[in-house]
Amino acid sequence: MSDIVRGDPDTYPAWFQNKKTTRPLIVSRWVPIFLVGVPVLVLLAIVIYPTIWMFYHSLRDTNIQGLFMGNHSYIGFENYATVLSSDRFQDSLVHLVQYLTFGAVFQVILGTVLALTLYEFVKSNAIRTTVLILMVLPMMLPPSIVGTLWRFLLTPSNGAVNQALLDLGLISAHIEWFNAGVSLWSIIIADTWNWTALPLLIVYSGRVSLPPAVYEAARVDGASQWKVMRRVTLPMLKEVIAIAFILRFTDAFKFVDLVYVMTSGGPAQSSELPTYIAFQRGIREFAIGEAAAYAIVIFAISAILITLFLKYMKRVMKAQGFA
Amino acid sequence: MAVTTANSEAQLQQTSTVADRWRAVRYLFLAFMALWLLFTLFPLYFMVITAFKSAAETNLTVPTFWPNEWFPQNFAGVFAEATNFNALVDSFIIATANTALALFLGSLAGYAFARFPKQAGGENLAFWILSNRMFPPVAILVPMFFLFDNTPWGTDSHLSLIILYLVFNLPLATWLMMVFFRDAPREIEEAAYLDGWTPMKAFVRVTLPLVLPGMISVAMLCWIFAWNEYLFANLFVGTDVRTYTIVIPTFTHGSQTLWNLQMAFSLIAMIPPVTMFILLRRYMVRGLSLGVVKG
Repeated sequence: MSDIVRGDPDTYPAWFQNKKTTRPLIVSRWVPIFLVGVPVLVLLAIVIYPTIWMFYHSLRDTNIQGLFMGNHSYIGFENYATVLSSDRFQDSLVHLVQYLTFGAVFQVILGTVLALTLYEFVKSNAIRTTVLILMVLPMMLPPSIVGTLWRFLLTPSNGAVNQALLDLGLISAHIEWFNAGVSLWSIIIADTWNWTALPLLIVYSGRVSLPPAVYEAARVDGASQWKVMRRVTLPMLKEVIAIAFILRFTDAFKFVDLVYVMTSGGPAQSSELPTYIAFQRGIREFAIGEAAAYAIVIFAISAILITLFLKYMKRVMKAQGFA
Repeated sequence: MAVTTANSEAQLQQTSTVADRWRAVRYLFLAFMALWLLFTLFPLYFMVITAFKSAAETNLTVPTFWPNEWFPQNFAGVFAEATNFNALVDSFIIATANTALALFLGSLAGYAFARFPKQAGGENLAFWILSNRMFPPVAILVPMFFLFDNTPWGTDSHLSLIILYLVFNLPLATWLMMVFFRDAPREIEEAAYLDGWTPMKAFVRVTLPLVLPGMISVAMLCWIFAWNEYLFANLFVGTDVRTYTIVIPTFTHGSQTLWNLQMAFSLIAMIPPVTMFILLRRYMVRGLSLGVVKG
């Protein structure tokens, strides 16, 4: 009997538990372990093993020749010291904060405002759906197309954006979109164009699934629409907005493709993010040990954030009667 | 009596000013949304007209917002070089095979998590699997390259990318299938056991059809993520395999960027994900929000 398990009895429907002749889902104890074990093994091989590899080399003076010859030695935390004290890394952290604030955070606010505007203020269903689809289209494009397209649009000398702004009389001279200090903003603009759709879509769907009865009650009570928005809609959407924020924030932390396609971190490293430097040092400049230290620093920061985020998500899903 | 009337009149007045203010707010937000729509559509519009321009017209010092001359032959021009068509085929093979693999493994694990939560390792294991999706892939790029370099098929192959894309698609598929299996009413499945069906038969004949819509949306999401992937492909592709996401940014003729062909190619490559999204957006919201938003 010990090698046999039943499906979770707590979740059996009442009528079923009362039956005397129950024959619930009984399988060998090994079946669930096997079913879950295969993906776990795959992930151990393709995620955990590389992470351990990176940690190992972050403590060694590995470069590309050393790696192939098996010729590298333990140097303690020297790579970390190099990384953490370098101006390049510290600058990239400033860029990251700028990108996360004006990218991820701003996108969630923007997406929420747009979603609620669309739902509350547009009456016709057909228009709503059409506008929603149009606004979400950019999300379906791959980063390489988004990056290429925006590099093309923002070309300083004869790009479409500069020309359109000139024609509208909003600027009097071409904006140099890819100069130092501006190029990171160009990336943020392209990213906002690309990803505001995600919080928008999530908040919109969250609003659609709020129970109409609550609004009926508020209307009977004679609450003003502003009050309904502030006291009913926004509090009820709190979790949904938080989830949208978590998704955007973790994605923004991983973000590197657009930097690579649009500016290659330039000019003069002025639009580099930590992830981009890790990529550049490892793949292009072959400083494996240092790249590994970058990777582990990034990994550690994201591990903390992800743990916090997942804790919150677990709570939300529990409240929904889920996990 | 008089007092009440005065009161209600004041109240009425107050409500009307509140309503006025609300109307003003409404127009303000609608105007903002219209502006945003313009910002969203302008790049797409310019992409479409550029795809129909001649190469000379894309390089004018003053860009045109309507083509002087229409060049639909650009779309044929994209496929004049076999490599471009092959890139789409490569992307298609990789995305489809990866989706099938992720969905197969993910469904089985998701089913185990939904039906045998304790024996399958509990919610902590499920959350750990999900967390793999959130880590920056750039942190594992270098070892991945050497790992696959040592395999018989090497880095520059379909198989390496098919396996590699499991990094983000397998956690997603497992997690979402768990969510969908939990949604499937268990009573019907239990009734099948009462009838003496084996777990396998009940799974295939009863549960699977129930979760099919969810499964399709998971498949679409995984497929789009794999189809659009750039970072891993950028490192792994070589002479044998090139995904279209790698080809598009390097669409040049000598030192000149062929913007018109680049945009035409982008438009063609956009068709599958955009079509899927328009058809299945309601299901996709569930997946995009990791099952939290019912959609």
